[in-house]
Amino acid sequence: MIGFLLKRLGWMVLTLWVVFTTSFFLMRAVPGGPFDSEKKLPPAIKRNIEKRYQMDRPLIQQYWSHLWATARCDFGPSYKLEDYTVNDVIAQGFPVSASLGILAMTFALSLGLVSGVVSAVLRNSVYDVSFMVAATIGIAVPNFVLASLMIVLFVFFWPIFPAAGWGELRQIILPALCLGAPFAGYISRLTRTGMLEVLGLDYIRTAYAKGLTTPEVVVRHALRGAILPVVSYLGPATAGILTGSLVLEQIFALPGMGSHFIEAATQRDYTLAMGMVMVYTFLLFVMNTLVDLSYSMIDPRVEVD
Amino acid sequence: MSISYQVRRFFPLVLVAACILAVAWVISFGTLPKADFAFANGDQIKTVDPSKATGAPEGRIINALFEGLLRQLPVDQPPDQTGSIPLKPTTRGVAESYSVSEDGLTYTFLIRQTAAWSNGRRLTSDDFVWSWRRTLHPETGSKYSYQLYYIHGAQAYNESRVEVDQPVEVELNDRPEHPSGQNQLFPRGTMLRGILREIRDVTAPSGSGGNEADTAPVSEPRRIYVVEVKPQLNGRVQWEAQGRRQAFSSHPDLVKTVQGEAVQRAQHILPDFHRTVQIRAPNPRTLVVTLSNRTPFFTDLVAFYPLYPVCRECVETHGTPAWTLPENIVSNGPYQLEFRRIRDRVRLRKSRTYWDVANVDLNTIDAMAVKSETTSLNMFMNGQLDWATTVPNPVIPELMKRTDFLSAPMLTVYFYRLNVERPPLNKPLVREALNLAIDKRRIVEKVTSAGQQPARSFVPPGIRGYDSAYCGEYNPERARELLAQAGFPNGSGIPKIQIVYNTSEAHRDIAQVISEDWNVNLGIQTELRNLEWGTFLDTLSERDYMVARSGWIGDYPDPNTFLDMFVTDGANNETNWSNARYDELIQTAQVETDAAARMDILHQAEQLLMRELPIVPIYFYVSINMVNPRIKGFSANIQDIHPLHILRRQQ
Repeated sequence: MIGFLLKRLGWMVLTLWVVFTTSFFLMRAVPGGPFDSEKKLPPAIKRNIEKRYQMDRPLIQQYWSHLWATARCDFGPSYKLEDYTVNDVIAQGFPVSASLGILAMTFALSLGLVSGVVSAVLRNSVYDVSFMVAATIGIAVPNFVLASLMIVLFVFFWPIFPAAGWGELRQIILPALCLGAPFAGYISRLTRTGMLEVLGLDYIRTAYAKGLTTPEVVVRHALRGAILPVVSYLGPATAGILTGSLVLEQIFALPGMGSHFIEAATQRDYTLAMGMVMVYTFLLFVMNTLVDLSYSMIDPRVEVD
Repeated sequence: MSISYQVRRFFPLVLVAACILAVAWVISFGTLPKADFAFANGDQIKTVDPSKATGAPEGRIINALFEGLLRQLPVDQPPDQTGSIPLKPTTRGVAESYSVSEDGLTYTFLIRQTAAWSNGRRLTSDDFVWSWRRTLHPETGSKYSYQLYYIHGAQAYNESRVEVDQPVEVELNDRPEHPSGQNQLFPRGTMLRGILREIRDVTAPSGSGGNEADTAPVSEPRRIYVVEVKPQLNGRVQWEAQGRRQAFSSHPDLVKTVQGEAVQRAQHILPDFHRTVQIRAPNPRTLVVTLSNRTPFFTDLVAFYPLYPVCRECVETHGTPAWTLPENIVSNGPYQLEFRRIRDRVRLRKSRTYWDVANVDLNTIDAMAVKSETTSLNMFMNGQLDWATTVPNPVIPELMKRTDFLSAPMLTVYFYRLNVERPPLNKPLVREALNLAIDKRRIVEKVTSAGQQPARSFVPPGIRGYDSAYCGEYNPERARELLAQAGFPNGSGIPKIQIVYNTSEAHRDIAQVISEDWNVNLGIQTELRNLEWGTFLDTLSERDYMVARSGWIGDYPDPNTFLDMFVTDGANNETNWSNARYDELIQTAQVETDAAARMDILHQAEQLLMRELPIVPIYFYVSINMVNPRIKGFSANIQDIHPLHILRRQQ
């Protein structure tokens, strides 16, 4: 296992470097720069600014100095949010995105697992049909549509939640629900399929024959076998939640990292965009590694290598 | 094996713990006490540093945190039919009075005795000298430093333009390391002052490449400056005394490499600030400024945030940008910065040290960073906001029926640039035909539909003492005639015209109407091309377009802010249009001493612009604000500036 982790660490460093290099040159190849605006700056002033951010140096020199700084986890000053360094921006934005993501994921997992199990156990019942219809809708409806619907329902018709903002628990519930909904749908369907397969197996029949009640059989025996597809889905789901939050953070005016990502790219804030790309790459890599590890935890037959 | 069994058992527990932590973290923000007033401040503000900010959201915050010599306030008069009350630079700022010399060049401001910084220190005229110098210093990288160019000597200082036999200041390359490791941008190295005697250009030695380790910024000129350094006695420079010739260079390669003569490394070689830039502080309460030309709108600029003062000891202690952090910042305005959360809010609290604190009503203000217009409208409707600065276009007709919807003309024009070097747009007749063939009224009524006015001139109406020019009403027949005169009857022989705009639904809709008008009225084929913002700006500055969508917001209420952009090779011209007569008129207006005559010259210039039409004005913007009816003191104006400290909440 240590060997596996070390190998993964090596790959991660390599991946981060490749991502850094590609993004660095891609960003600078795109037309426009961080200090362009519709009101043209006098050339002398633009020179002063570019000098301040060392953008007047040859590209390759900039590349090495940025790479060295990035290796030390110092992303430098943000070109657009001038009062902050990129590290400050990430430090303030990450906890917001993280708690939104964790809540959304918890919601998706708990709702998905419960509804999936119930659907499988009571298959073809009213519950099964209605859960699966709901799951299909959850997957099909994009989260911004769902968000608009939720706002109309729970902010205006039945005002129990504030429209947007951040700072109290009430304000995170709607965005977490909207963000988690499609993933809850997927998880529910995956669980149902897995459960149906497992419930027909011999060891389940044995468990029933021992005199165990249905809840005991489901929780102790069936679920463990059925949950593997769900676990392997968690990797892509994390990616989905990370990218999905870009849209929702705008709609609900949340101060997370997603909105920085979009803004940094459109405004050519090179340093901030780079910081975001690196953090996201890192997160995805770590999540995928965790998922791979958890296979072996859940199913002893799987060995990591 | 047993480890993975343990982990397996704890896996759900870990998940639950993570979830509880997340919830706990959210709650740990604590329920903030509600502010007395909350408004949507558009996008995340980029900075609160007056020397560096450029946008309107930044302006709202800086106007609350800092205060300039003069203050833009609504004049004491009832609103006109559009609900507008004009703003005027008043002496309700740091200066209690000011006077202008006979020739209109020298402004003398008297700073009020009660003006103070939030750290308790009295505000003096030296604060302005230092702050304006900071804005002008090339290393600050201020985007609005050109607002100070009207002051004699300021532009040369900002552009580091030194001349032989002129006084210069040389900062040696011996800056102490700043303890916090922050960028300390303002010069702290040894300052030598003297007269520049000689500039020597040194060509790069050929074949000396391979010096990879050299970190010399490429833009440093390969130049040696020979300066007669004047002796200093008790910190005072002896300008009359005989100085010592010394050579300096800012290019590291040139240091100590020139035969026989020692060349010292210098951080900056600039015109001597105190001798060449006409900003003087004869005593702590008096500031004297001399301009190069008569500038009637100078008082408007003095009341504009790039000219606000910053606290020297605060900037020097903490460095840039750390001095803007809430725990460090020292300001002189009606409000102080309580805290800032990126993309969430800026909380302002009434400042106890403000000279006019008795007349500030709201104790706390939240400036919310809300990017989405829909979200900001939702929050306003929901009572989370008292003032929404933008609303989504499609709902405007619906909102216009409400009493809390305030819309008024603005000093902003939407126009199309025509690249006059691309045939057939090189023919003035074609440009005129294109202008007359656009049904601008249809655009404002059917597309923008928030009460915008169709533009028949480039300078928006509403500027005191100025009559805008006129470029003709919608007239398809006349347009067809002009096109035929230009040699393209019924549009035959005209190549496809491409309209570029930055990606936005509103721009696309307008471009579609115009394209349809040109097709139906003139038989011209068009092609629409949307470009992402950065690419769009590049396309414009490289003149790689035929017709391009544009907008311009007046910096100050004077026609000059619109007209001086189209002088030959003006940075914002971007149409390739050049007209000697026009350049001459703009030049004459700058030195004209009589206000009415000056306006008349500017009018002639605009008339010329409207005859030649390198640009086609489309419509004038309106400001759109939704304000809680309980908030008093809010009035619309053409600059869409709304000082926060004059607002009151009616109980």
